[in-house]
Amino acid sequence: MTRKATDPTKGLGWGVFLAGTVPGLLQYRLGQPRNALLAALSCTALFFAGWALVGHRLFYWGLVAPEDSTSLAQYLARYGALVLPEVLNLPANTLGAVLAFDGSASGLREERLLGAGEHIGGWLTAASGMLAAFWAAQAHWELRLRRDARPVDGQPLPKPIAHPALCAALSWLVPGLGHAKAGQKDKGVLMGIAVLAVFAIGLVVSGGRAVDRADNAVWWIGQNLFGGGSLFASLVTAPIRGEGVPIDLDLGVVLCTVAGLMNLVVMVDAFTVAERSVFPVATPADVAGPEGGGEVSA
Amino acid sequence: MSLLFRIVVYVPVLFLVALVVVGQHHATAQETIRAAVARTVRWVVWSAMLVLTMTVLGWLFIGG
Repeated sequence: MTRKATDPTKGLGWGVFLAGTVPGLLQYRLGQPRNALLAALSCTALFFAGWALVGHRLFYWGLVAPEDSTSLAQYLARYGALVLPEVLNLPANTLGAVLAFDGSASGLREERLLGAGEHIGGWLTAASGMLAAFWAAQAHWELRLRRDARPVDGQPLPKPIAHPALCAALSWLVPGLGHAKAGQKDKGVLMGIAVLAVFAIGLVVSGGRAVDRADNAVWWIGQNLFGGGSLFASLVTAPIRGEGVPIDLDLGVVLCTVAGLMNLVVMVDAFTVAERSVFPVATPADVAGPEGGGEVSA
Repeated sequence: MSLLFRIVVYVPVLFLVALVVVGQHHATAQETIRAAVARTVRWVVWSAMLVLTMTVLGWLFIGG
């Protein structure tokens, strides 16, 4: 049994949210030094593994291309602040941007040249940003548990059916896998098939050209919300550059982006399903409990 | 031909999107499918009304 302590809809604040962009910082604050080290090392290693392949091209794929200009957007772009989702792994991304920026005329020309292995390199750097987000979600969950699930009579903290952040991360790679882990296997299969089908239709109608970070950098931000799909495209379809433009390329790009956004919903739902094993949805009886502080069963 | 192809793609994709959207409010696949069918029908009706409205506006302001 746990006692309601705080309004569960209340967030943990901007400070905690922003601290999540520095992998390991929240784990350190939670008193989990091993996790802190693991988070920092895994995110940094993943980023620089990709950065070694893609280099300065990565920052050309941001919302604004970095140039030696004084406008605020270009100043931010120069430090990688407009490259998504890498910016979620702030320290490595900023360091990568500082090391890669070359404001000379020849440097800016080189940014337009294709590089070998850049598709998988771009996926790896993006994966480092997503991994940072999942580490942040892990820490947010632990903080929320300590805030809201204070055990009665010295009992240990309740354990969820599966770690919510792990469920979200699994769903990022394979849509629906997080639901299966959280105990909703059939619903997970259904949602997974829905995301995969939309993504596959998008790839087929575009002749495999829809998911290409170098060609459609901004759309790719949404497409990458289905990590398994964008990984497949980075390894298989994107490196094959065919002649001409398929007639339904625009439809394919939109469908693959819709699939990514659908998977964002799947990830959030997988997190919520696991979360509700500890914090069930409040019934009207709970809300109107004795003195507003009724007990919620775990 | 391309327009017809896009319309044929539209309805199944609408159903797949509905599966994910309504799935958040249900715990089993069966409940999710049932709710998704109802939601798809509603979305198709709204889409048809939107197309009809745009056609009428085009006819009024641009001409047939």
